[in-house]
Order: sequence, then C-alpha cells, then structure tokens
Amino acid sequence: MNEITSTLHPVRRPWQRHLNKLRWLVLSLVFAMLIFLPMVSLYQTFAAAHGYDLLSPARQDFYDLMEALTSPFSEDPVSGLNGIKGTTWSGNFFGYQLSDPLAVVGQIAAGFEIYWPFVVSALIPLLATLLLGRFYCGWLCPATFLYELNSNVAALLRKSGLNFGRVRLDRRLKYLVLLLGLVLSGVFGSVFVAMIYPPAIIGRELYYAIALNGFGVGMVLFVLTLLFDILVARRGFCRYLCPGGALYSLLGRYRLLRIRRDVAICNDCVKCNSICEFGLNPMRDDFGQECNNCTACIAICPTDALGFTTAMHDLPDQGEGHLSPHFRRTGGVAS
Amino acid sequence: MSMQRRNFLQWLVRGTGVLAAAGAPYGLARVLAPAQPPSRVTKRPQRRTLRPPGALADDAAFRDACIGCGLCAEVCPPRCILFHAREGEADVNTPYIVPEEKGCILCMKCGEVCPTPALKAIPFTKADIFQQVDMGVAQIDRLTCYPWVDTGVCGACVLACPLGTRAIGFDFANLYRPVVKPDCVGCGLCVEVCPHPSLPIRVVASNEGTVTEHSVQKIGLPTHSPQGSGPGGVGGSGVLPF
Repeated sequence: MNEITSTLHPVRRPWQRHLNKLRWLVLSLVFAMLIFLPMVSLYQTFAAAHGYDLLSPARQDFYDLMEALTSPFSEDPVSGLNGIKGTTWSGNFFGYQLSDPLAVVGQIAAGFEIYWPFVVSALIPLLATLLLGRFYCGWLCPATFLYELNSNVAALLRKSGLNFGRVRLDRRLKYLVLLLGLVLSGVFGSVFVAMIYPPAIIGRELYYAIALNGFGVGMVLFVLTLLFDILVARRGFCRYLCPGGALYSLLGRYRLLRIRRDVAICNDCVKCNSICEFGLNPMRDDFGQECNNCTACIAICPTDALGFTTAMHDLPDQGEGHLSPHFRRTGGVAS
Repeated sequence: MSMQRRNFLQWLVRGTGVLAAAGAPYGLARVLAPAQPPSRVTKRPQRRTLRPPGALADDAAFRDACIGCGLCAEVCPPRCILFHAREGEADVNTPYIVPEEKGCILCMKCGEVCPTPALKAIPFTKADIFQQVDMGVAQIDRLTCYPWVDTGVCGACVLACPLGTRAIGFDFANLYRPVVKPDCVGCGLCVEVCPHPSLPIRVVASNEGTVTEHSVQKIGLPTHSPQGSGPGGVGGSGVLPF
C-alpha cells in the first residue's frame, strides 16, 4: 500500500450524500427563476401601463396570478421587483452585476478590446471557478437541469431495449470548440460562443418565449443537442462540445474543492462510474479537471467512501477498494 | 504527462487544420463575393430598425460588444426593445427597436443595466439625452403628412415628443405642419403615434436629413424630348423635366 492511504484516516461524512438533493434544489430554483423573471418583466409592463381593463382575458388572468405571487414581497411591482434581472449569462443580482466568464472572453475575442466594468462583473464567478472548479456546470447551469432529465429519458429508452447513445468521443474536443468559437468571434465580429452555449441559449429563449414573440433560432440548436445526447453520447454536448465547459475545466484544473475516494472503505461497486454524467472514473481516482463536483457519485456511494476534500491535486490511482471482494480475498497483495 | 500533452497539441493542430481546410471554400467565397450592386431603386426600406439609446454608433462595433443577454429588454418599461431571434444573420440575438410598433421613451434604463460597452449609460437628464443619444432623426414626408398636404390638422407627433420644441415643432407659416429640428434624437415616439396609414414620419439615420427627398428628384426621369436626343437620356440635373 502506498503511504498516502495509510496516513489518511477514514472519515465518513454521511451528510455529504444529501448534497445532491441540495444541488437539484438549486438547479430547479435557477431554472424556475429563468421562467419567473420574464413573467415578472411582463407583469411590470402591464402594471406600469395602468391598463388592466385593456388587457385580454388571458392576460388579465396572468396579471392576477403574478399579483398573487408577488404581492407578499412587494406592494409596488414597477419599482419593487427589480432585485434580480437577467439570466445566468449575465444578470443583475441585488445590485451586483454578474457575468459568465465565457461571455467576457467571447466579447474580448469579438471586439479586441477590454471593457473593465464587464470584466469585473465576471470576477466573482471566475474566483468561484478557480476555487470550486466546474461547479457552474453541475450546480447552476439551466441547461444541465434539462440535460440531466434528458439523460434519464435516454436511460429509460436504453432500458426499453434501444441500444444507442454509447459513443465515446475525445473529451478534448470541447477545447477545440472553445478555441474555434473565439476565433470565429474575432473573424465574424459577433459573440459567436453566445449562440452555441446552451445556458445562454436557455436563458435567452425562455425570455423570448415568455416575454417576446416566441422561441428563436437558438431553440433549434438546443433541441439538436438534446437529440445528440440521447442518440450519440450521454451528456455528449457537455462532455465533448460545450465551450463554457472547456473554459471552466481549464480554470478549475487546480481547484481547491475536490471529491476524493477513501480507499479503505471503498468496495469497488462501480456505481460511481456508472452514475457519473461526465463519464469519469471516480472508482480509480480519475476525476481530473473535467469533474464538476456535482456530488452524484457521493450520493450513490453505498459505503460513503467518496467525499469532498480540499486539495490542489487528485490522488494517483489508489488501487482496489479495501472492502472489495477481490481485495479481501487476496489481502491486497495482488494490487 | 508531457507525451500526452504533445499528443494533444498535435491533435489540436491537426484538428484545426482539418476544420480550416473544410471552412476555407466558404470563407474564400465570402471574402471574394462582390459587394451588393447598388440598387436603382431608391425606395427606402420599409422598416429601418433602431438600436436602443446609448448604442455604439458603429453597428459592427455594437455587434461585437453585445453578448445577447437580454437585460436591456427585461428592464425596458414599455418593452419596446425586441431581439433578432430568428432572423438577422450577424445581428442575431442583438436588440432593436421598431418605432412603428413601439417607440423608445428615453428612460435610459437599458444603458444602466447593460454589462457591456454596447449600450452606454447616459444620465436621465434632458441635456445628456440631447448631447449623447443618437438613434437617428425623424424625417417627415411632406408629400404625405396630412397638414403638409392640407388634408387636416394633426400635430400628434409634436404632442408625443418627449423632448419638446427643441426636437420637433410647428412650421412658422402653418401652425399644424410639423417640422423636425436637428436636435431630434430619433426615439420614434412620433412614429408610434402617427395616424397616417403610410407613416409619413419615420426615423432615419441622422445624416439623412429631416425632410424626405423623393426618388424622382434623385434619379430623375427619362426625358422624352421632342428632338429625340439619344435613347431616353437620364436627366442628371435632378429636376423634373417639366
């Protein structure tokens, strides 16, 4: 056995398995917020116009609903509901402007100049990514919410006997997409990555659909990515193509918060590997920069062998789990 | 590790090469394509869309700067800001205003929330709006506008103007004929209220003038001179042949 595992005390942290529920709560809240904010915007317009009687009956119902929902929080919808505006791509959160680092990078690539107020607005997400890794992908991204539901659909389809969606591509493809997206932004002079980045698409299209004239062209692309995930590769877009995922992976390479396996209580059941949306290998300590700290593997581990630690690097492969049948039979000699 | 990295770099270079080669014909065709031939038809496009107030003057720079986050539209009180959602090629996901449907009320909230340099934050004072906002200028077609062709009294555009007499006023000689002044910032509220079905008032680029010039004045008409001098020479003097 190597020294690292012998000095490591097996600390069971059973509460961490509930983090996945928390994550789902956060994901649902973010998605609900992206639906709710355009509705608030619409409601504010109606309220500001003082034209309730002129609204169509359907819009009057909508007005009543929004009034019922928001009246506990604010008496004056026109000026009192401005706390949160925007999407996860760029938004205003109680006075703080927050932007996606990819938006800043893409915009700099498109215009070849740096606008500091915009860069500053991406600072908090950037720092969080440096510390927490690709957490945005797992915990906040509104597209992840739909993609994980989509993964469940794909799993159901597979269970019903349709055998597809098992292709494995090279994970580094997404870095090429990021590079290409930035180059195209520079060449064609509009923020190209914004058109192919699913969370930006989702935020925008929900706004178009609810407050403006209906879905735009981005929805077509998003449905294509859903089909790609079902038919070609599980979570294929996030794993292999997403430019934002590529940027966050690079930024989160030396993240401080990581998931680590406690080899002394691991029983090699492979559940973590099969649950991992990004196709990583937690059972053999292979997390790498791609891991988004989504805690799905922690939640499913039957022996609580997986948990968060603070470290700059993953452990090298620690070998068989000490509770695995093979290890117990051989006493670890074979490993 | 370094071997992996080298492999990866080689792979990256190769991949870029393949993609560049695949995209080259399109790029070349696009670069070498001749510019759109100048149209003989001087009829202005039916709908010139405006950018929100405070937008960068250069539209290409605006496209570069805008990340399509939708914040400007979300805070816009009259919701006059729309988005190129399905059309518009390079303009896709950028905001615009159609003054025929809904004009801008110049509240300046969009510039306040815009995270990028696309929309400049302009203080909500009349002086700053006059000085810094340049969405265009309203232009009146004096051959259509009701008071200008003496078919009625109107003045809707003058009443709707949020900027008052510095932007639009009445003609000195006839108290119902609207006259746009160069200080107009092009918010489009006059277009929104204009009762004429063909909208004799519209917002154009600020260098196009406040009075519509008619195409017959510009391209001239073929002259049918009794002498028969050449096959339908075009009157270049810019005056009608009578």
